[in-house]
Amino acid sequence: MKIVLVSAGLSVPSSTRLLGDRLAAAAAPAATAPEPAPADVQVIELRDLAVEIAHTFTNGFPGRALADAFDAVAGADGLIVVTPVFSASYSGLFKSFFDALSVTDPDALAGKPVLTAATGGTARHSLVLDHALRPLFSYLKAVVVPTGVYAASEDWGAEGLNGRIERAAGELAALMAGLSTSRPLPRRDSFEEVVPFEERLAALRPTG
Amino acid sequence: MQFGIFSVGDVTPDPTTGRTPTERERIKAMVAIALKAEEVGLDVFATGEHHNPPFVPSSPTTMLGYIAARTERLVLSTSTTLITTNDPVKIAEDFAMLQHLADGRVDLMMGRGNTGPVYPWFGQDVRQGINLAVENYALLHRLWREDVVDWEGKFRTPLQGFTSTPRPLDGVPPFVWHGSIRSPEIAEQAAYYGDGFFHNNIFWPADHTKRMVELYRARYAHYGHGTPEQAIVGLGGQVFMRKNSQDAVREFRPYFDVAPVYGHGPSLEEFTEQTPLTVGSPQQVIEKTLAFREYAGDYQRQLFLMDHAGLPLKTVLEQLDLLGEEVVPVLREEFAKGRPAGVPDAPSHSSLLATAKEKEGARA
Repeated sequence: MKIVLVSAGLSVPSSTRLLGDRLAAAAAPAATAPEPAPADVQVIELRDLAVEIAHTFTNGFPGRALADAFDAVAGADGLIVVTPVFSASYSGLFKSFFDALSVTDPDALAGKPVLTAATGGTARHSLVLDHALRPLFSYLKAVVVPTGVYAASEDWGAEGLNGRIERAAGELAALMAGLSTSRPLPRRDSFEEVVPFEERLAALRPTG
Repeated sequence: MQFGIFSVGDVTPDPTTGRTPTERERIKAMVAIALKAEEVGLDVFATGEHHNPPFVPSSPTTMLGYIAARTERLVLSTSTTLITTNDPVKIAEDFAMLQHLADGRVDLMMGRGNTGPVYPWFGQDVRQGINLAVENYALLHRLWREDVVDWEGKFRTPLQGFTSTPRPLDGVPPFVWHGSIRSPEIAEQAAYYGDGFFHNNIFWPADHTKRMVELYRARYAHYGHGTPEQAIVGLGGQVFMRKNSQDAVREFRPYFDVAPVYGHGPSLEEFTEQTPLTVGSPQQVIEKTLAFREYAGDYQRQLFLMDHAGLPLKTVLEQLDLLGEEVVPVLREEFAKGRPAGVPDAPSHSSLLATAKEKEGARA
């Protein structure tokens, strides 16, 4: 089992990354329970990939480090994605990563469990999870975990955050276990499944 | 093996002077570049086809006909001819006419264009891009091979008892390449007909080129045209050279940094590392070009993009001198080494005519 954490935090240390780490720490053992060994966790810091993400749009193809990150995301059994709130939504860097991913590999997230999380300076932005992140990942055909986790600055010293983390991590783990027993969506490779040319010609022939 | 150049025909300001050539200057420069290509011993000149600024070559056979009259050996080609939005009847006629005028020094490359709006400009539906390429080419293929054609399809009005005129020179249609960067359907189309496949091989990592060429070669053999190694492959490439590689980098960087397509993006160093672009000495160009064979196999045609991004004509002509004098002679020699005997040359009018006569003789 493998969990990939995508963090769009910008500062070091970052509360976005901190929230991501807490979610991963809770989800990794839950995903493999009752086995003693927790799921592998790989962290992708978008800050480190910011320039390659921008170049994907100017070049048309991802650089090497970004291509590796895309492979990791595509190969994950579950994703945890965490963004700071910028201007009442996910950050541009966060969106750009998933834009670049979907340009490169449109089905990368199809059928994949995704736990969404966000951080902000105030609790007033908490609906960003349901109004911005959930539709984005629904569009990308991911299976979005019912509980998202939003952490405002004051939450780090308040009660309740731990419980939300535990609940969301448990839901992610359950989906990972449930979906991994179902058959994965076949990845389409147009190079290996060429439509024979006669079929294309025949499809264009006038009927009757 | 053939070597040549292909031009996009962009009108781009020279970033070092801020000067933009007029359309007339750019069109005449393309002609001068084509004539220079013959002078320095290259084999092929290919022009793009575009119907939007900042590009000038909207009417390829007009330009190629003019170049044909002023050259002796050069093969005139396209990169690409829009099989999607041009009427295949007009393509059949234009290129047959050019064949006669140029004494057979003509082939062409089919493509689907680089901009979506070109479809509605010519009354077509962009969502039908692949289907238009399939149907239009199927008709074109017949118009050049059958004197009288009855035809009905999805995208143009039916033809009854139609004869495309003039007939191809000596009854031999121009050789056709199909160009595509990432559509397996087009590699499949080229393989089905036993036509050539061209990958522009620039702006993208070599891995893209490799997958497309491998698919084309496998399918070429599947359709019984020969072994995978005998399939007809062309590649693009993009180079800028000076005797001293540091001079090449210094001179090309301002053009690279603001160039259409990749400008304002990665550094010159990153781009040369990740794509087939070479900026350096003639020796570096030779080494990088020879390495194309490692992922594309022994191939038939190498075209270089030399005249874009606002490079002044004088510089481009100097580049062609270097290409013709220092690079291509070495490439010819080196590519010939270890080339298996069964790998054919790119088809030409005379080779296609000889094959046609052979077949006729065998039938008689």
